[in-house]
Amino acid sequence: MTDIQRRAPNTVMRLARLGSIHQSRLSFMRVLTRRLAREGWRFEKTAFDVNDAGEGHAVYTVHGPERSYSLIAFAHDLPAEKRSDRVIAEAWDATFTLFDGIPTAQDIERLSNNIPVQEAGRVTGTELSVSRANRSVRLWEHVVSCLADGRQPDPEQINAVGYLMRTTAVYGSGKLGAADREMIADRPEFAAPFQVEMLSVYLTRWFVLDLVQHMANRRAAANGTTAASLSPELGRSMGIGNSTGLGMAPFLLNHPVLFNNWISARENAIQTVRSLASASPEDVALFKSLVARSKVTIAKWHSEHPIQIEKLQGLRSDVAKVDAYLAAADLTDDHPWDKLYRWAADTLSLEGQEWIASLILEPYGALVDDFAWDMAADNTATFRIAGAMSVRDLRALLTDVYSWAIDTDWQSPANRARAWYVSEEKLEPRLGERFEEPIEEYEQPLAPGRDAAQLFKALSHWPDEAQVADFLLRHPEHRHVLRRAQIVGRAPYAEIRDNTISDQVLPIDMLRCKLAFFGATQFDPRSDRWVRICMYGNAPLPMELTPENADFWVFPAADTKLEESAA
Amino acid sequence: MSHSLNEIEAMSKRAARGAGLSWGLSEEAAKGTRWLSAFGFPGTEMLTELLQMNDRIPPIDVSPVSLSADIWHAPTRRMSPLIAGASLSDCAVRLLERGTITMQNVSLPLLAVPFMGGAALRLGVPVAAEWDGARVATDGKQLCVQGEAEALRSKHAATLVFSAPAEMTGKREPVMRAEVCEDSWDQLGKFAHRTFAPATEESRLRGAGAGVSDND
Repeated sequence: MTDIQRRAPNTVMRLARLGSIHQSRLSFMRVLTRRLAREGWRFEKTAFDVNDAGEGHAVYTVHGPERSYSLIAFAHDLPAEKRSDRVIAEAWDATFTLFDGIPTAQDIERLSNNIPVQEAGRVTGTELSVSRANRSVRLWEHVVSCLADGRQPDPEQINAVGYLMRTTAVYGSGKLGAADREMIADRPEFAAPFQVEMLSVYLTRWFVLDLVQHMANRRAAANGTTAASLSPELGRSMGIGNSTGLGMAPFLLNHPVLFNNWISARENAIQTVRSLASASPEDVALFKSLVARSKVTIAKWHSEHPIQIEKLQGLRSDVAKVDAYLAAADLTDDHPWDKLYRWAADTLSLEGQEWIASLILEPYGALVDDFAWDMAADNTATFRIAGAMSVRDLRALLTDVYSWAIDTDWQSPANRARAWYVSEEKLEPRLGERFEEPIEEYEQPLAPGRDAAQLFKALSHWPDEAQVADFLLRHPEHRHVLRRAQIVGRAPYAEIRDNTISDQVLPIDMLRCKLAFFGATQFDPRSDRWVRICMYGNAPLPMELTPENADFWVFPAADTKLEESAA
Repeated sequence: MSHSLNEIEAMSKRAARGAGLSWGLSEEAAKGTRWLSAFGFPGTEMLTELLQMNDRIPPIDVSPVSLSADIWHAPTRRMSPLIAGASLSDCAVRLLERGTITMQNVSLPLLAVPFMGGAALRLGVPVAAEWDGARVATDGKQLCVQGEAEALRSKHAATLVFSAPAEMTGKREPVMRAEVCEDSWDQLGKFAHRTFAPATEESRLRGAGAGVSDND
């Protein structure tokens, strides 16, 4: 019992399980809010210049211990017919950049010519991200009209949508000329992944609340009245929505070391907690209270997609089983978390198992939070191929990591029905039908299983003692997957151990996994290839952020009306 | 115009693929172009020149015939610096055992230099490359350069000698941004464009899973 292993990559790295992952203490939003609170970051609105039509700009600056960052927001008056969440959209309700420092008037002038057009513009090394957002038309109008009428908006309508604006892309790391991650990776505030993007969205939420209030104030003024101020409770309940499409799926495949480090950090944390021989009554009480609070989230979780509806039914029946287990179990002794996890693995759906796996980490921030610093990646060392590796060792490696792929019949059309490609339309990543569309010649290398099986076959007549350098000289077409196999040999959670081009593949599994690491909840797939989520819902607003509320905000209070309506 | 190194890497990878290189070699071309750009060399211009020279030709024609030969040479007498360089990186251990690896008739030899950076990191000792009038050495992180710009930009090296361990003198640190010549960027963009599927209405609707309203 004292030697609990990490979960095996063959268990963890299956798409169905990755597509059931839940947020945890290591999620990037929570890493950020903990830091902002712990270090006492100061928040300041330094400009808000928006006219009655909702056009203009605003600047929000945060001051950390060593550096300041500013969100520069541009507000637009977007005609309804131009509002689309697709990458191929060309206009938005609002556009943003996170600026490294405090912008001058010249910076804002330069950016006002570039940020509103997004991909058609250029930014520089002082910009850390470029993003855009669209309004939820229904909720936006409801909130503006209620406040302008002097009353609070309806909490039910707010809950039904959850956000006033949703981001449709947040570009970081060098995109459109912005600063590369390498330029800022040595700053402690960006040591964990995606902290630039998470900070940008956190400040975006503040701007959106200011903008909706401003629009209500202007409308009321035009009517000769005074608008109501949005109550802080309702404001806090709203997050920033996000529409995520296919681009994130290739991201996980194209950053194998980074992906390994995310999964590995969470698996290390799970292993650490499962290895505890006992738990204090306080830890057990905290765990149970968070079970109760996450039941609120699960009860509220709404999706119209058949796949998610079925998963939610499973999860809700898991919740009842967990209640029964917790009522009977003594969680203080006898490796309680390992016992709970093993019971969950035998009893619950994948959604339920991963919910519990994330939740047992909650009482143990002191033991697991530092794993977040291992989640970033520098690919330099892993990129080079070890050419002196023998064909014997490569074969063994492939058999170990890709046995499922070597055993797959790749001649069967169903097993390679799809192909990933990039469209010339704003380089939108897409997934097509290999046998129905003229796309195969544009296929991206996003089927490592198939490619590894082909490599294995190509090696069959090579002698064991040969070196892979000599094989690659003759077979450059296998170079990318051989590199990948060597990476997975060192980083076992780097590879998705499933077929990413079969007729059954669900890209939303990959999107869900990535968004769970961001810290999202209540995933709402809108098709098999895009998903809506909400970020920072229920999080403290910047001015309210304290070490006491910076961590558990993701769990709604269990004694709210929400639970009554869900029960 | 100033570009981020990630942009240079992404563009170079797509362009190399568009010119017919395998995905694995395209990745090498991208890392190499990024590395040269970070040290202030015209990486995108030189990559453009190479891709135009070797556009869609069979890689075997511009590859070393054998990695065990005393002198590496390609059957066409114009060895690709990307393929030769990638092989050099794959043979890092052999380089240290042999002390030198000599290549004949290499196009744009500077494009092979980033790969010795990889080899130096793997071996933990500096690696040097020398050709007519130019010598560069690196430990993988810093670079020392001797020779005139013209020699460094040479289109063809009759002999290119890599050696390890090498001495480092007059170190140059990499930078985080690169100035890119617009013409080379446009040329790389044309190669990259070959990898993008043409826009069709069907692809627009099906390929990204639209069809459900994304507006509320």
